Amino acid sequence: MTTRTHPLRATSWLTGMREATPLLGGYIPVAISFGLIAIQTGFTAWEATLISVLVYAGASQFLFIGMAAAGAPLWLVVAMTLLINVRHVVYAPNLAPWLTASRYWPWLMHGLTDQVFALAHSRLPQLPEHQRLGWYTGAALLAWASWIAGTLLGAVAGDWLMAQWPLLGEVMPFALPALFLVLVMPRFTSRRWSLALCLTIVTAMICTLAGLTNLGIPLAALCGALCFYLVKFDSRQTGGSHE
Amino acid sequence: MSSALWLAVLASALGTYLIRVLPLLWMRRRLRRLGEDDQVDAMPQWLGILGPLMIAALLGVSLVPRHPDASAWLATAVGVAITLLVWYRKRSLGWPVAAGVATYGVVIVLVGM
Repeated sequence: MTTRTHPLRATSWLTGMREATPLLGGYIPVAISFGLIAIQTGFTAWEATLISVLVYAGASQFLFIGMAAAGAPLWLVVAMTLLINVRHVVYAPNLAPWLTASRYWPWLMHGLTDQVFALAHSRLPQLPEHQRLGWYTGAALLAWASWIAGTLLGAVAGDWLMAQWPLLGEVMPFALPALFLVLVMPRFTSRRWSLALCLTIVTAMICTLAGLTNLGIPLAALCGALCFYLVKFDSRQTGGSHE
Repeated sequence: MSSALWLAVLASALGTYLIRVLPLLWMRRRLRRLGEDDQVDAMPQWLGILGPLMIAALLGVSLVPRHPDASAWLATAVGVAITLLVWYRKRSLGWPVAAGVATYGVVIVLVGM
């Protein structure tokens, strides 16, 4: 029994890690930037790394060190950090139907970032139940480890790295939109979904161009949801199917 | 780092974790209450719709280049096209992403020459 269980678990861990590898292209350059900026704003390498270990939420970490370095009241720093992360509330409930009864899941939610959610939301329903915990653990731990290692690397050698390979920092982050694109494409299953998804993508792009990146994510999703409900109303009138 | 700043780090970390975990505990209780058979159907409809749309929003945000000049937009457009093309052929995760990133890099280098 044990000889069968362990290889299966190891395989699902490795599969999770392998499938999370594209995330590294987005995580490591951004984490290096975070480490570098943290050092420039007066934090030590260990402090920057510990922030990445404990908070583990990209945009809000940049905001945290920026506001703290500017001398903002600490209650406001915490409030703004949490406000940026509040979009995460919809992630875990979306995964819940595919999570097993294991008591480890609540602890693993520390690793539920935007990118890990996107990956897990697509992959968990496709995996057999006994592989899901291992798969998620492998994927989430690899992403977390890369974020921590990238921060430490940026804090210790960020200046040198940026000078040596400026192009790498520019090119690797494209792994994130490429991955999201691959994850979103199977959702274009009907005209109704296509319209809602396209509207969401365009709204999010406009918000980002207007400098409202973090607000743009929930706002764009809400616009898409509104479109989804309105189109359903229209399709009923014409008698068309929406799925 | 002062102890007050450490407290702020810990408060941010704990708050972020609770934002991630509390909705899971709520949803698990709801699923348990509604029974084992229809776990997916037991999810509120708005939540099931919001999931894919959040991923689409993340795509939209990440599509905008950090320095949105003409060469970055061109590289993004070509990178997206190649990612889509490889995805249609392979229907996998790794190859389309690798091809997209490589194409994006090649376009950036070619335009910069």
